[in-house]
Amino acid sequence: MNTKQPKLRTVVLGIVGRSLDMSPAHTRWDRWRPTVDLCRQEDLVVDQLELFVHAGDERLAATLTDDIRSVSPETDVRQHPIAARDFWDFEEVFATFHDFARAYPFDTDREQYYVHITTGTHVEQICLFLLCESRHFPARLVQMGPPRKNGPQSPGSFKVIDLDLSRYDRLASRFRKERREAASVLKGGIETRNAAFNALIARIEHVALASKAPVLLTGPTGAGKSALARRLYELRRARRQVDGALVEVNCATLRGDAAMSTLFGHVKGAFTGALQDRPGLLRAADHGMLFLDEIGELGLDEQAMLLRALEEKTFLPLGADSEVRSDFQLLAGTNRDLASDVRAGRFREDLLRRIDLWTFRLPGLRDRAEDVEPNLAWELDQFSRLTGHAVTFSREARDAFVAFATSPEATWPGNFRDFNAAVVRMSTLARGGRIDVALVREEIDRLRAAWDPQAGEPGGGDAEIVAHAVGARRADEIDLFDRAQLAEVLRVCSRSRSLSDAGRALFAASRARKTSSNDADRLRKYLARWELTFADAATPQ
Amino acid sequence: MALNSAGTPTGPVRLDGALGEGGGQVLRTALALSLATGRPFDIVNIRAKRAKPGLLRQHLTAVNAAAAVSSAEVEGAEPGSQTLRFRPGAVRPGEYAFQVGTAGSACLVAQTILLPLALAGGASSVVIEGGTHNPAAPPFDHLAEAWLPHLRTMGFRIDATLERAGFYPAGGGRLRLGIAPAAAFRPLVIEDRGAILVREARAVMALIPRSVGDRELDVVVRSSSLLRADCSVVTVDSPGPGNVLLLTIRCEGGTEVFTGFGEHRRRAESVAAEAVDEMREWHASGVPVGRHLADQLLLPMALAAGGSFRTLAPTMHTTTNCDVIAAFLGDVVTIERGTERGVDAEVCGGVRTSRVVVRGAATPAA
Repeated sequence: MNTKQPKLRTVVLGIVGRSLDMSPAHTRWDRWRPTVDLCRQEDLVVDQLELFVHAGDERLAATLTDDIRSVSPETDVRQHPIAARDFWDFEEVFATFHDFARAYPFDTDREQYYVHITTGTHVEQICLFLLCESRHFPARLVQMGPPRKNGPQSPGSFKVIDLDLSRYDRLASRFRKERREAASVLKGGIETRNAAFNALIARIEHVALASKAPVLLTGPTGAGKSALARRLYELRRARRQVDGALVEVNCATLRGDAAMSTLFGHVKGAFTGALQDRPGLLRAADHGMLFLDEIGELGLDEQAMLLRALEEKTFLPLGADSEVRSDFQLLAGTNRDLASDVRAGRFREDLLRRIDLWTFRLPGLRDRAEDVEPNLAWELDQFSRLTGHAVTFSREARDAFVAFATSPEATWPGNFRDFNAAVVRMSTLARGGRIDVALVREEIDRLRAAWDPQAGEPGGGDAEIVAHAVGARRADEIDLFDRAQLAEVLRVCSRSRSLSDAGRALFAASRARKTSSNDADRLRKYLARWELTFADAATPQ
Repeated sequence: MALNSAGTPTGPVRLDGALGEGGGQVLRTALALSLATGRPFDIVNIRAKRAKPGLLRQHLTAVNAAAAVSSAEVEGAEPGSQTLRFRPGAVRPGEYAFQVGTAGSACLVAQTILLPLALAGGASSVVIEGGTHNPAAPPFDHLAEAWLPHLRTMGFRIDATLERAGFYPAGGGRLRLGIAPAAAFRPLVIEDRGAILVREARAVMALIPRSVGDRELDVVVRSSSLLRADCSVVTVDSPGPGNVLLLTIRCEGGTEVFTGFGEHRRRAESVAAEAVDEMREWHASGVPVGRHLADQLLLPMALAAGGSFRTLAPTMHTTTNCDVIAAFLGDVVTIERGTERGVDAEVCGGVRTSRVVVRGAATPAA
C-alpha cells in the first residue's frame, strides 16, 4: 500500500504486571489485563511492544505474548528480561531502565514511543516516569483504565500523558502567571520596561527558586541591591523555600571586635563588657537568609570565619568552647571590584569563589531610562501611602521632570537613592498635593548643583554660575556643551579687573602664537552672543 | 470482466459517512464497489456521530486489505481518521492473508474483497484471521450456508471453509476462501422459499460449559417448531471462550441462518430468544430472504446479472447500502414495497414485506 505521508510506527514499552496481567488461564479473557488490553484498543495500533519481564514471570509473559498475537496481529511483541533482583529498590530499578534507555535504538523520525505505566511496582513506575521526564525515554506516558462495571469483556480505556507541560494551554498560562507574579515581587511591583533589567530579573527569579547557593549582587550605590535582597527573601518565603528570618547588615558598619561579635556572637564574659550571651547575626539567620551588604568592607578574620560558616554550616562564637550550627542562604552586596581587592590582598580569593557562583550586576538608573516613569509612579505611590496624602504632577511638570531625568545630563550618581530623595522633596514641598513646573525646575537646579563636579569650587558649579548670569529660564535652554564653556568664561571674568585683562587670560595660547591681536574684542563678541556685557559677567556670584 | 463500461462516469465518488446508517458498512460497501468498478472515492465524516469517531482498527483492516489486492493509493488510513481518499489500481487475483485485530470480524473483511477478487479474472485464495462469529456481523455459517449458495446460483464460483472459530474478545479464528473466475452470470430470482427441507439448531461452544448450550436449545424446542432431534451442542476449538446459537432452515428456495450471540454475563435464555425471535418473524412473513441476507445480496446482484427477491421491509441498513450502490452504479436497486421508501408495505402474516429488484451491471449469459 502506498501512503503519501510516512506514518510513525507506534512503540510501547511496558512491564509484565505480576498482579494486574495475571489471571487463571480459563478466565483470563473475562478479566481486564492492562498489557493485553492496551493492544485491544480500537483506536490505537501498537506496532511494537517492548515487554519487560521480571524473573519468575516468564510463563505469564509467554501467555500475554500469545494472547496479544491473537487479538492484535499488528503487534510485534519483544520480551526483555529485567536484571534487577529487587524491583522495589529504587537505585537498582533506575539503573536497569537507565541502561536499557541508553542502549535502545530510539528513532523518533520513524517511531513514536509510549511508556505504559499501569503495571509494575510503584518504584518501577516512578523510575519510568523520571526517565521519561528526563527524556532518556523520548516517550509519552500511557495509562490504562479498567472497563466500567459489567462491560462485556471491554478493553477499558487508555489515556496519554504528555509530560511536556507547554502542551497544556491552561497549565502553561498558569505557570506564566506564576512567573509574572514572581518577577513582580522581585521588581517590587514596579512595571519596569527596560529589557535588559527585566531579563536580569527573570534570571534572578529562576536562580532564586532553583538554588540555595550564595548570590552576589553588584552594581553602583543606590541601584537597589538591598531592596532586591529583601524581595528575594519575600519570594522564597512565599514559595515556602525558607522559613527563617532575613537578617541584614552593612559590613561597613562593622569594625574590630564588635564585628566578630555582631556576626558570630559571643558567650558571656568573652571580653570586657560581654555581660551576657549574644547569639550573633549568623545564628539569627538560621533557616533564613543573611544579607551582607558591602561585603568588601569585611575584615580578613571575619572573612575566614564566614567562609567556614558557609562551607561547614558551623562556626565558633567568641569565647565559646563548642561550635554552633546555622544553615542560611547568603546574599552579598558590593559596589567594589572584589577581584581587584583579591589581588590587593584585601579580600580572600576562596571566599570570593564561594560567593560569586551567581553574580548579578544591577544597572544604575542612567542605564534604565525607560524605567524612570514607572519608578516615578511607584515613588509617588509610596509617598502617598507613607504620608496618607496623594501627590500628583501636573502634566507639564511631569514631562519636564522625566525629560531631565532621562537626559544625559542627569547622571544620577546615587541612582535610586537620589531619585527617591528628589521625589520625596518635591512631594513634601507640593502645595495641595500638586507638583507644578516651578517646583520641578527648582528640584532640577538642586540636582544639577549637587551633581556638578565643580560644585565644591568657589562660586559654585557651572549650572549655578550660568543661571546666575543669564537667568534660570534661559540657562535651562543652554546645551551642556555651551554651558561648560560659558561657565569657565564667567569664572575668568569675575576674577579679572577689565575686559582686556580677561581677554588676555582666555586667549593666552593664541596670543603666544600671535594669531590673535584683539583679545578684548573677541571676548566682547562672545559675551554679546549671550546678551551679556563684561560688567554682567564680572559681577561676583 | 470489465464493469466500468463506456458511459460510466470515472471521477471520484464522493460519500458522506454521516448519511443514513453511516457505520463501517458504508465504508466496506464503497471499498468493494471501488475495487469492482475501478472508480476512486473520497469519504468524509466517517462514523462522525459515534463515541469514538473515525476509523477503528477493524475498518482499517478492511481498507488495508482492499488496498493490498489493488495496489491502491490511500490517504487517511489511520485510527480516528474521519476522511479517506481511496484510489484503487487493478485488482490482482492471487494468494492473500489478512489478520483482523481486536477480534474484529473476518467475515466483514471477506465481504469487502471477495466480489472484486471474483470479478478479477483469475483464481484467488484468501486466508483471514480474526473473529468468525461476531455480534453485529454475519457469522461464518451465514456467509457459507445462506449467502454463498445464492452467489453460486448467480454464477460466482466461491467456496469458504472455517478452519478455526474465533470469538470476541480473544479472536484467533481463521477462514479460507477459494475463488475461481466466474464463467457467466445469471439473474437471481427468489420469489418463494418453497418447502422447508431441513431444520437445524446448533449451540456452538468454545471453553464454555455444555450446560449453557443445553439451556439455549431448551428455549429453541419450547418456543419454535424445531424438535429435540434437530438440536445439537457442538464444541469447537478456539483460543478464547465463545458461544453462538445457529438456527439453520434449508428450503427449496435457499437457506436462512438465524443467530444468537453469547456474551459475557448474558443469560443463555436471552441468547436463544434473539435467534428464535428473528426466525419466527421471518417464518411468519413467508418471504424467502431474511433481513440480513437481503442486505448482503444487493451488492453481488448489482455487480452480476441482477434479479429480484422478496424480503422483509427494508431497514435503514438496507437503504444506506442502496445509496452507496447508487453513488457508484446509479439507481440500480428498486424496492417495490417498503415503508422506508414511502411505499406501503405488503403485510404478510402480520409482518411488513417488500420486493427488491436489482438491475445487474454484467450482461446475463445467453
